[in-house]
Parts: sequence; structure tokens; C-alpha cells
Amino acid sequence: MAKRKLAGPKKPAAKPQTSAQSTGNQQGSKLANVKGRAPRLLINDEDEDNEDEDEDGYIDDEAEEAEEDELEDESDLEEYDGEDGISEQFEGLLDGAISDSESEDNAGDEASEGDGEENNAGEEGIFFGEDVENEEHEDVAEVITNSVSDDDEEAEYLSKYSAASEAESLSSISSDQDDSMVAYYTTGADGKPRPIYHEIDPHYSSDDSDLEDMNTIGNVPLSAYDEYPHIGYDINGKRIMRPATGSALDSLLDSIEVPEGWTGLIDKESGADLKLTKDELELVKKIQLGENAGDVNPYESTIEWFSSKTEIMPLSAAPEPKRRFVPSRHEAKRIIKIVKAIREGRIVPNKPKVRPEDEQPVYDLWADDLQEQQPHVMHIPAPKVAKPTNDESYNPPEEYLPSEEEITAWNETDAMDRERDYLPRKFSSLRTVPRYENFVRERFERSLDLYLAPRVRKNKLNIDPDSLLPKLPSPQDLRPFPIKCSVTYRGHKGRVRAVSIDSSGLWLATGGDDGTVRIWEVLTGREIWKATVGDDDEAVQSVEWSPVKDSGILAASAGEKIFLCLPPIFDDETEVTGQELLAAGWGYAAQPAPVEHINKERQCNWIKPSTKLASQGVDVVIVCRKTVKQIAWHRRGDYFTGVSPDGANMAVLVHQISKHNTQSPFRKSKGIIQRAQFHPFKPMLYVATQRYVRIYDLSTQSLTKALQPGARWLSSFDIHPQGDNVITGSYDKRVTWHDLDLSTKPYRTLRYHTRAVRDVRFHTRLPLFCSGSDDGYINVFHGTVYDDLLRNPLLVPLKVLKGHTVVQSLGVLKVAWHPKEAWLFSVGADGTAKLWTS
Amino acid sequence: MRIKKKHQAGAAKNFITRTQAVKKLQISLADFRRICIFKGIYPRAPRSAKKANKGSTAPTTFYYTKDIQYLLHEPVIQKFRDHKIFARKLSRALGRGDVSDAKRLDENRPRYRLDMIVKERYPTFLDAVRDLDDALSMLFLFAAMPASDKVSARVTEDAEKLCNQWMAYVARERLLRKVFVSIKGVYYEAEVKGQEVVWLVPFKFPQNVPTDVDFRIMLTFLEFYTTLLQFVLYRLYADAGIVYPPKIDAAKVQGVGGISAYVMEGKREKESLLQTSTTKKAITESEMASRAQTISTVLNKITDHAAGDVIATPADDDDDDDEEEVTDTLDKFTALPSTETVISDIIPQPDETSPEDIVKTLFSPFTFYVGREVPLDIVEFTILSLGGTVVSESVLDGYLHVDTDALPDAEEVDFDARQREVDALLQKVTHQVCDRPALASRVPGRIYVQPQWIFDSLNRGRLVPVDEYAVGATLPPHLSPWGDGAGYDPEGIGKEEEGEESEEDVEVEVDEEEIEVDEEEEVEEDEALQHQRELESEAKGIIYSSTTSKKRKRPDKKPKKSAEEKQAEEEKELRKIMMTNKQKKLYNQMQYGIQKKETRRETLKIKRRKLEKNKQNKKRVL
Repeated sequence: MAKRKLAGPKKPAAKPQTSAQSTGNQQGSKLANVKGRAPRLLINDEDEDNEDEDEDGYIDDEAEEAEEDELEDESDLEEYDGEDGISEQFEGLLDGAISDSESEDNAGDEASEGDGEENNAGEEGIFFGEDVENEEHEDVAEVITNSVSDDDEEAEYLSKYSAASEAESLSSISSDQDDSMVAYYTTGADGKPRPIYHEIDPHYSSDDSDLEDMNTIGNVPLSAYDEYPHIGYDINGKRIMRPATGSALDSLLDSIEVPEGWTGLIDKESGADLKLTKDELELVKKIQLGENAGDVNPYESTIEWFSSKTEIMPLSAAPEPKRRFVPSRHEAKRIIKIVKAIREGRIVPNKPKVRPEDEQPVYDLWADDLQEQQPHVMHIPAPKVAKPTNDESYNPPEEYLPSEEEITAWNETDAMDRERDYLPRKFSSLRTVPRYENFVRERFERSLDLYLAPRVRKNKLNIDPDSLLPKLPSPQDLRPFPIKCSVTYRGHKGRVRAVSIDSSGLWLATGGDDGTVRIWEVLTGREIWKATVGDDDEAVQSVEWSPVKDSGILAASAGEKIFLCLPPIFDDETEVTGQELLAAGWGYAAQPAPVEHINKERQCNWIKPSTKLASQGVDVVIVCRKTVKQIAWHRRGDYFTGVSPDGANMAVLVHQISKHNTQSPFRKSKGIIQRAQFHPFKPMLYVATQRYVRIYDLSTQSLTKALQPGARWLSSFDIHPQGDNVITGSYDKRVTWHDLDLSTKPYRTLRYHTRAVRDVRFHTRLPLFCSGSDDGYINVFHGTVYDDLLRNPLLVPLKVLKGHTVVQSLGVLKVAWHPKEAWLFSVGADGTAKLWTS
Repeated sequence: MRIKKKHQAGAAKNFITRTQAVKKLQISLADFRRICIFKGIYPRAPRSAKKANKGSTAPTTFYYTKDIQYLLHEPVIQKFRDHKIFARKLSRALGRGDVSDAKRLDENRPRYRLDMIVKERYPTFLDAVRDLDDALSMLFLFAAMPASDKVSARVTEDAEKLCNQWMAYVARERLLRKVFVSIKGVYYEAEVKGQEVVWLVPFKFPQNVPTDVDFRIMLTFLEFYTTLLQFVLYRLYADAGIVYPPKIDAAKVQGVGGISAYVMEGKREKESLLQTSTTKKAITESEMASRAQTISTVLNKITDHAAGDVIATPADDDDDDDEEEVTDTLDKFTALPSTETVISDIIPQPDETSPEDIVKTLFSPFTFYVGREVPLDIVEFTILSLGGTVVSESVLDGYLHVDTDALPDAEEVDFDARQREVDALLQKVTHQVCDRPALASRVPGRIYVQPQWIFDSLNRGRLVPVDEYAVGATLPPHLSPWGDGAGYDPEGIGKEEEGEESEEDVEVEVDEEEIEVDEEEEVEEDEALQHQRELESEAKGIIYSSTTSKKRKRPDKKPKKSAEEKQAEEEKELRKIMMTNKQKKLYNQMQYGIQKKETRRETLKIKRRKLEKNKQNKKRVL
């Protein structure tokens, strides 16, 4: 390492080799060649290292100084050894090493000197080379002795020494090396601890494993080792011994003379050496190659047996055939044929060439004038291209020219989606019209259409669209029906959700989101009575007058409670009957209930109203478990149903006034119940779930029919007064008419509302029905049901009543027909109730 | 009863997919396409694609099975197969370097003819004429195409020849009915054998050839159309008593080319269709005519009795060719001043006869001098079809200033004589067609018009006033003779508007009275209010007229519907409720179409009004 450091400079290192090589070449000995080449390779590898060292500050000019330093180091080392008293057995060797290094240095110097005089230093080179060789011979002996006697010790020392020197030299670069690498520390020459590293063990995974004997002498010329038994050091610092040269043996072998024809084989018969002559050897070789061993010439010259020369003795004695000198009859025949053809004009010699296309004769293809016949049924003639319109003109009227927006819109749309494939343009005169860019493409697309586009015959309906409208009797002939809004009842705050007209047709009851039940005088629109029944502004969901004449009972539901009121607007007689009806049940409630009633008692409690409510006219309060959304009376007025959609199997409850009793007709939940209603005159209960309207016979307690309106979510239904027709309204905008005699599916499904249908109602006396919707309109229909079973009901739309405003996308919430007149009451989300009269 | 198997009958049998068809015919797809184009076989859209495709819903092209079955015995397909073998042999010969062999093979290459296919597709002649639209458009396109590696020069030449033959026929027989100059090209409509034939001719510019256009397909179509038109023309020429193919006048080909070079040689008489002065024929007119007559008389006896009605012109007719053509019609208008130069704007209109006859002879008294800048092909064809005579400026120039060295005959050209001829010819000119912003000098006695005058006159069927078409004038809009798709009539609107305006001026007071009658009470109130407002505005210093004018316009804007109308409409809406879904869909579809047209008409009307308003405003400012 120290040597490397000294000899670090690149230039002097590189040049001696060339000189060595040249000398070697001149000498012509193998040895010089070997020596000249091997170090070069190594040095090439180490060039980079040297450069690194150059960077570290070792410059060519400082070579001598460095030399001196080295000497000092060595003396230090000697001192150190002596002082420490470590075994002195290495001393001699050490001296040797020093002398080695010295001599090498000298050699290097010499080389570098010689390098300077390279051009005319041929003799020197030769001399140098000889010198090397001489030294070499001496070295061989040395090597043998050294390597045998103290190989191990030397190796150990050398490793130590190299490690130490390396540590020193690299101390400036790598002062903080990994401690795990360090085997132990010794005290260095400068008194500092010096790490001694483990021997590097190149294993298979290491990069250097395949470079076992790499010489690490750097760019020191190999000639420097000429005197020594080794030629350098490996990575571990061990000496790489000079490979044994075969020079002695070779020279010996060369000296022995091979006799003529010597084969090295022994003749079995005679026992003497087998000798082969040159010819014999040739023969053996030929046999080996499979060639003809005999004496044959492969390049014999040919002899022409059959030639043009007339032989004196011909091979065949046959006479010349006649055909050789008689003209061919066959040919004559052929020629006659051709001549004939030419004469007849079938063959025209030197005929001018005509284009085959021009040859095709044009004639009257339709000479046999056929009668025009009907084309095949399956033949579809190609449609003709549409005739150009004004906007295609080169000079169209100005209104055809597209505006800026139209141009941008046209540019933005995909070419496939454009209505026209051009933009109208205007040119002032014919000479300014340019070519049309897409002409070829359009023609191409037309031809593609002609042979690629599937053709289909489409019958164009050439009818008046109005003829599609069904023929119906004029609404004017079906009067009376409500036409206009005559009274508007204002007073509710917020939505009005419930409306009911009493059996006399004089009093209108409404209930709304403000928790009040109000009664209005129908004709004047005056509010007569008001009761706040909803606690905490609970909305009044339903209001229904009892059908019992002159009883004056009004049922209203708000929240979980149903209130049975007797509004103080009637005469005393009515009031008394009403009170009697309501009070009759208290006794039953006081009686101990039968066992099966206990449960029901728990679901609904019939209680007396608080004083505040009582003062407002409420007589009975029924407390249910869930919000009661709808109330429907039985025609006799003793029973009524309350529907609370969340109530599961208790969704429909039948309340009995005379006994203050509540029954639950269903054991199981039937789905979310929307509405429930009694048949107008039969003991039947109609229950509407989201999808179906189920009809239960109460007398047999069985399901008789389930109507399927085909709607997703029914909102309401109503039963025709004659009982065998049902209309339903649904949140998916549909109104259906069911004829119960026909089918469970609707007879007609109508879709005319643009929003959810909220309520549908039949008139009790007149053939009218209506539907109210969230779009704010009420559609009034004429619906005649004939007694004749074969005739379908006649449905005629009569009028669209427009008056309710849509508030928060809610329009008309409930409708009710006047019991006698063709009047209609409607309430809506706009907080009003309206009377529509004819 | 046996159980019916699925996909054994009905649509599954009637339709065949393309792949199946190709397999059945054992030809390549390219050949299949060609045969389909030749035979006019097209894919069908079966009512239920699923049934036709044996239960699969994959998108497929279907053909009618019978169509494909007929193809099995098609001789042209056999020729395709032969061609395949030929191509193989040729390529082998070329590969071996057997030039003579290759040449022999090439000379005897299998060729097919399409005449029987034409006959099959069009069993009667009228069928063929009816289907000429696409054929003509395609041929005219190829006639205008530059020869390239895709389209050989021969193809374009053939196409041009056929196109010129067609135009020569139409012009000679005066069959042209409509012309429309669009941005795409020129549309012509001719009435041939009672059939309307419409074709589109591109402007004479090199066409833009897109790279993604498959010319093999176009050329296959062209091949068929060429054959079709050849036979149709033969028949047409034969019916008209003209020799087909017509001879081409070499001198004229050098001059302008086009239809003027075609010598329509009658079976009885020889006549040149054109009278452009370039030909010697025109010069030695009378001589030619007399000779032709002699030939014709002879021929008349020998040949032709088929076109008896065309022979109406007797042999002693010695006048101009054009007149010869129309003598039977000309006989009727004796009052017509034939070649008098008409200077005034009042153009003598022919007497009332059938509109077709009027069109045929619309320009017969006139000679048109067509300027150099005017596209001669369009104008010449139109004028000739209307019976006019054309003198082209560019042709005259070529005739007078001919390069003597370039002439192959090396004859001596008597320029003075030529000049004299030309002068004589120019004497006859009545109209000059000119497409320049201004003219340096004008010849007295000529009417100067822009080319659009010719087209509009033909489309209207009468000579339209010339003043709007004067040189440098802003042209009136050129309208499509087929009208507007949406039913919008720009001219009708104009008249309507004018009518409205005039009415408005007169009926202002009447209107007000009517309003008073209609809504008496309201008007009384209104009057009170108005009076009040007027007083107020007077106080503010606003002029009376401005307030009143606003008020007067108000009733016009909202035309009130009568109560009955309203009710009827309401009833209609109600009746719609009772429609079934199917009816409703159909009804809505119809309404959609109607509505679309209506909106288009409306938008056009609104635009028109706006434009007119702008114009008026501008006028006022000026």
C-alpha cells in the first residue's frame, strides 16, 4: 500500500510498461511478454483508484518527498519494533522488505528515467531486460526456500504490516471505519491505537470471489519484481508467487532430436520402433478421410463418342428416315387452317388493339317492352335523397343564415348528430362560390347507405293527428259539474289537510296543520266554529262528519287522538241527540270488559276530554298508540275506522261509539295501510295498502278480492256509491278505475296529473268523480256506470279546476263532494278551502 | 302432432347473416360486396332481430335468404371465381418472369358484363329512368375528379363522356325543369319519360378527396352506373332518333369541351346542337343543312318509323337548328317578335300554353353572350335546355386568337374572315350574362344580367324582371324550386308582411272601435286611466304620440282567442286524457314533428322581421 501511495502518480507508472514491453519484444522471449502484459491489465483496473489518490494530494512533483517520508516511516518502524521488544525474528525480513521497497523504488526511478530516453534507449532496455532475467533465476531459488520455511509467519506479518500502513495512509480519509471490522488494536508508530482488521474472506457472495489472485501492485512496473520470487501481492497482502516457467524443461526437450519417421509406436512383430515413411503417412491420412487410396485421377478429360464428325465406322447402320427430308403434312394442315381463317376473316393479322370495354356492344336492353309489373313484395327500393331546401342555396334569404349561437352549437355537436351537414352561407355572386369540401364524402356515404344500411319499410301514417283523439260526448252535454271557484274559505294557517261536508250540505269542516278544526258556513264562507285539538300544533289529519242525520257529530284526528266533537252550531234538539249518542258508551266502558277486550282496551282508551277541550265542544277523546291519519264512518254512524299506517297489525281499528269499544280486525300486519273504508251498503271493508286494495267481507270475516291497480304507492281510493266500481289515486300520478265485476286489474289507467295524486272522490248522487293532485289541479270526470253488465263505464273528462297554488310542491290535499249539488270542496297546501260550483 | 323445433321457420329461415351468406356463396367478402352492389342486394332489418338470429341478440347484418339464393347461380360470381384463378396464374407468371405468358394471360383475362344485371334490376325502361338519380350524381362527380392513383384517367374520361352525352340529350330534348345552385353544387331536375330525375353536379374545381374514402366501393358503384347509363342513353337516343354514341367534334373539344362538342346526329338529319361560332359547321350552316336534308329524306324513307312524332319537322325546313326543334310549338305564338332585341324591361311573355311548353321555349328568341368569368358548363346547359343560343366569350377568344403554330393541320387561318363571322354572330346577341362587379363598356341593345337570372327564370317558368339581376346589383335570394322543408315561404312572408303593414295603416281606428265593442267596461276604465296617464305624462313633458303609439301596438301583440276557440282547445286537452298509451305516443310523435316544423317556421319568421326592422332603421338613419 505504501508503495502504491508512493508510486501513485499515473504517468510514470504507465510508461515503463511500454518500455518493458518493447524491450521484451525485442528480446523475443516469452517471459518478457508475459511480464509486459499482465501488469498492464491490472493497472488498467486500478486506474480509478490512482485517480482517487491523486485527488488526495499526491502529486507527481512530490514523489521524492514521499520517498523520504517512507524512509522515515521505515526507520520509525524499526525503532518501534526494537522498543516494544516484540520477537525479532522478522527483523531480517523486514530489512528485506525495506530493501525490497527501496530496490523497487530504484527500479521505478530507473524505469522513469529510461522512459525519458525511450527513443534511443534500446540497448538500455535490452540490458534491463537481461538484468531482469538474471534476477529472475536467482529469485526462483529464493522463493522456494522462503515459501517453504516461513510462509505462514511472513504472511501474518505482511498482513499486519499492510493493514497498519493502510490504516495510516487512509486515516485521513476513513477515520471512522466500522468497529466491527476491527479484530484488535495495536499501538501505532505514532503512539496512537492502530486497528488491525480481520483478514478478508472472499466468499461466493462477495464481488471479489472470482478474482482470487488479483495482483494489487497498482501501476508499479512488474519489472520492479524481477529480482524477487513473487510478482506482487493479492488483496490480502499475500505474495503472489511467480508461476513456474517451463524454460528448463523446454530447453531440455528441444535439445533431444526426433529421428526420421518416428511415431512413438512399437512394431508388435519386430519389437522395434515403428517407422513410417512420408508416403505411408499420406496413405494412412487418405484412408482416414475415406478417399480413394488407389492411384485414380478424378479429373480425366472426356472423350466425345457421339459427335458431328462422320465416323468411318458409324455406331448405327440404320438408314436416314424419310421424314428428315419430306415436308411435314401435319404442319401443312395447320398452316392451311390458319390461311383459311385469315381468308375467312376469323384471324385478322396485325389487328389494332381495342379496349375490351369499348368492345362491349350497347344495344336496346329493353327491346322487349315488358309491362310494368309490381315489384316483389320483399323489395324495398332505396329512398331518394331529400331535395335541397332554401338554406342550401348559394344565395339564401338572409333569415336562413345561422346566428353566432347556431354556428357554435353546430360546431359543438357531433357530426353524426347534426341535423344538416352544412351551414347555410351566402355568396354575393356565382363566381365567389367555392367548392364543397365534403362532396366526395357525401357521395361515398350515400353509396354506403345504398349497400350497407339495412332497409326497413316504415309505413308513414298520413292521418290527421286529431283523428287519434277519442270521440267523447261534449262536456257541455254532461252538465252540471263544477266549473268555477265561488267561495274561498280562508283562516287556516299552514296547510289544510282535511275537509268534510255534513249531510245537510250546509256546514263545511276543515282541519289543518295549525291544529285547529274549523267549521264554515258553506254559502257565505264564514267561519262559525273553531276548536284547537292538536297539542303542540299537531296537525289535524282527518275530519269527518258522522253520516247520522241531525246528530252533529264530527270526528277529527290529530296525532294519536281521535276527537269526537259536537260543535255548538246546531239547534238544541240535534245537540241532545248527539250527546246521547256519544254518552251511551260510557256505561260500557265502566263495565268490566270481557277477557278478549282487555288487550284492546290497552291499545285504545276512550277518555273524557279535559275541561278546556270540553269547553270547545269535544265530548270524547280516543287515545290510540300511533298517529291516526284517516277516519271513515260506517253508513249507520255507529262505527268508524281509524287508520294509523305505522300501527302494524293495529293499523286499522274499528271504533264503536255506542259501546266506546275498539276492535282490531287484523291479527297480522298487511303492510303499510293507506286508507280504509266501509262499503256503501254491504258489510264489507276496503283496505288500501301501498300496492293493493283488499276487500274483506265482515260478515264471513274473509278476504273476497284484492285489487291490483298497478301503482307503486296508492294515496287514496274511493268506492262508487253503487259499490262495484273503485277508483284509486297514487303517488305515481296514476288514477285507475276498477270494475269489480271485470277483473282485479284496472279497467282504465289514466295519467294526466303531472304530480302525485292526493285524493280521489266519487259524488254520492251524481255520476261525477274527481281527483286532486300536487300539481294544484283538480280534474273532474263524468263516470256513468250502466246497469247493463255488457256496457263498460263511460268516463268523460269534464273540467280541470285550477285555483290552488302549489306550496312546497304540495297542491290539493283533499277533496269532498257536496252531498246533493254538483259542488266540490277542496283544501290545499296554500291554506285555503275552496268551493267549486257549476 | 310433432313438436315444432325452434328457429326452423319464419324469420330464422327468411333471413341469413352476412357471414352465412358469404360461406354459402363461397366467395370472399370483397367479392360479396361487389356482387351486392351490382345486384342491388341490401341488408334488411327483420322485425325481430332475435328471432332472425336464432335467439342471439348480438348485432348482426341480415340479408334476405332468397336474395342470396338467387345469387348462387349468378354468372358474375362465376366470373369472380375465374378472376381469382386468373390472378393466381398471373402472379405466378410474373413471379417466374414469364413476361409473354403474363401478357397472354392478361389479354385473356376473364371479363364480365353487367347488362343482364341491369335488365334484372330494372325490368322496364321506366324503372331504370326512375333510378337514375344516384347514377348521374356519381358519374358527374367522377367526371369532375382529378385522375389519381385511385381513380384512373380512363375512368374519369368515361364518366365525363357519359355525362356530356346525358346533358346533350337533355338539352336537345329540352327536358330540364329546375335548376338550383346550392353551396354543394348545382342540382338539376329533368323530366325524362315522365319521370323526375334529379342530379347534383359539383362545381368545376378539383375535388377534395378524403383519405378515408374507400374508392373500391365507389368504383364498383361507378362500374354499374356506367353500364346502366350507357344502356339508358342508348335507348333514349334511339327513342329520340339520334345516333348513339354521338360523334365528338374535335375542334370543339379543343375549344370548350363539354356538351357543345357533341354532334347529335339524327338518324334522318345531321344537326349540330350548338351554335357557338367556333365550328366550321356553324359557318357553313346552310350548306350543311341542305346536305343533311338530302340525307335525311333518304334515311327517312329507309329507316325509322319508331320516332314518327319527332319527325314532325318537314324536310323543307331550312332555318336554324333550334327553331327546327321547336317548330310545332312556335307555330302557336305567331305574335312573338322572334329575334328582335328587347331593351325595355317589359318582356313579352308568351301566350298561355302549358307551362312545360313555355319553359321549353323560354329562351328560344335569345342569344346569350356568356362572359369569361361565368361557369360556362352550368349556364350553357341551362340556356340550351331552354332553347337559347350561346356565344361564349372564352370560345370566341380562342377562335380569334388561335395560335397558328400549334395547329397540326398547319392550314392558313384567315383571321379577317373569322373576325367577320364573329361580328355577324355578335350582332345577334340579345343578352349578355356577366358576373362582374362592374362593366367597362356596354354594347347598346344588349340586356346585361347575372347568371342567376337564367336559373330563376327557369324555376319560375317565366322571364323574371331583369332589373334586379343587373350587373353589380345585389341579387334577390335564390330559392330552392323544391321549397323549404318546414313549409316556410320567404316570399309569401314578405307579401304577408307588406299586407299587414298596409292594413295596419288603414285600420288603426277601426281596431280601436272593435276593442271598444269587445270589452266595453274595461275600455271605459282604461280610458279613464289612460286619460289620467296622459295628463301625468303631459306634466312630465313627454310627447303625446310616443305614449299613444305604445298603446296602439298592444292589442296587436296579443291576439285574443275567442271564447269558443278556447273552449274547443280545452276540450281537446281533456280528450287527450282518455287516449290509450299507444295513441298518446303516436299523437305525441306527430305533434313533435309538427311542432318542430312550426318552431322552425316561427324562428325564421322572427329572424326575417328583425332583419327587416334593422333595414328600416338603417333607411331612416340615412
